[in-house]
Amino acid sequence: MMRCDDIREVLGAWLDGELRQADAEEVRAHLAGCPSCGEERRQLEGLQKALQDTFHAASTSIAFDSFWRGVERRINQKRFWYEDALGWVRDVWTPPQLAWSVPIAIILLLLGMFSVENFLPGLRTGIPRNNFAAVESIDAFGRNVAVLREDETKTTIIWLYQNQEGDDESTGEKSETSSSF
Amino acid sequence: MSLLGKRAKRALLFSGILWSFAAFAGAAENASQTVQIKIGAILASNQSDEFDLRLAPLEKQLRLMKYRSYRLLKEESQKVQRKGNATFEIPGGRSLVVTPQESGTKQLALRVHLQQGGKPLLDTTVRLNSGGNFILGGPPHEGGALVISISATAQ
Repeated sequence: MMRCDDIREVLGAWLDGELRQADAEEVRAHLAGCPSCGEERRQLEGLQKALQDTFHAASTSIAFDSFWRGVERRINQKRFWYEDALGWVRDVWTPPQLAWSVPIAIILLLLGMFSVENFLPGLRTGIPRNNFAAVESIDAFGRNVAVLREDETKTTIIWLYQNQEGDDESTGEKSETSSSF
Repeated sequence: MSLLGKRAKRALLFSGILWSFAAFAGAAENASQTVQIKIGAILASNQSDEFDLRLAPLEKQLRLMKYRSYRLLKEESQKVQRKGNATFEIPGGRSLVVTPQESGTKQLALRVHLQQGGKPLLDTTVRLNSGGNFILGGPPHEGGALVISISATAQ
């Protein structure tokens, strides 16, 4: 059995039809025999009616028809594939999503610094950019020897001269070995 | 997770990737153990104007020596471990022994010993870039001079 306090607490839900049937019947029976709760009901109904009137008055001044037509038109509008692609590109290149490009750029920079040649030696063909060889020690066992470093081709030539006594007597080879560079 | 936390996690992950990359590069730099040695024995002479087309990649270097004719007599390639020897038989009863002294992926030091019938002709240590070459020449051969191109590539 609900008392007046309980009835007033659920009165709003009763007016909105949210109560179970048994509870709704109990509220109806209580309101029929309780003048103070009946007055509370009337005030609440008056407030609801005032709010509905205000809403309806305001809604007639808003051009909902054109708004809904616009929504419907955009839903039904056919989108071309390039519009989707453009949208995707635009999304990817907006600043928050652009963060991925920073590590990629740094990795590419590092790769450039180490150069392809370091990781794939011999990939490039022909004479390497710096082909100079440094001669750290040389012993020609008493013969004359010359070391030439040529700038254009970055070439190092070690030239062994035949000695005056005829170093190659064992093979009997005599030839023009005094190269002029 | 907060935005700051996410960024810290990403930064940590990225640092890890960079560190791995640098470690890989460093390891590749230091751990090169095999060297490919390639030699080309060439006869340079003034007996004709023939230029062997197989020597086209070396033409600019060979032309520095002012001979009129260049002919490839022998080309050979060997893979050798660091401190190991690669021995090449050179025309005219000569032999060339190449020993990599140090090898990174960037630079190599080679000890080159040329001998003829057990008699040493030249002993030299040369440092060059991986993939680079140098030329050793002078010994007389068949009326001209023997020129040897020696190249080395760290692998």
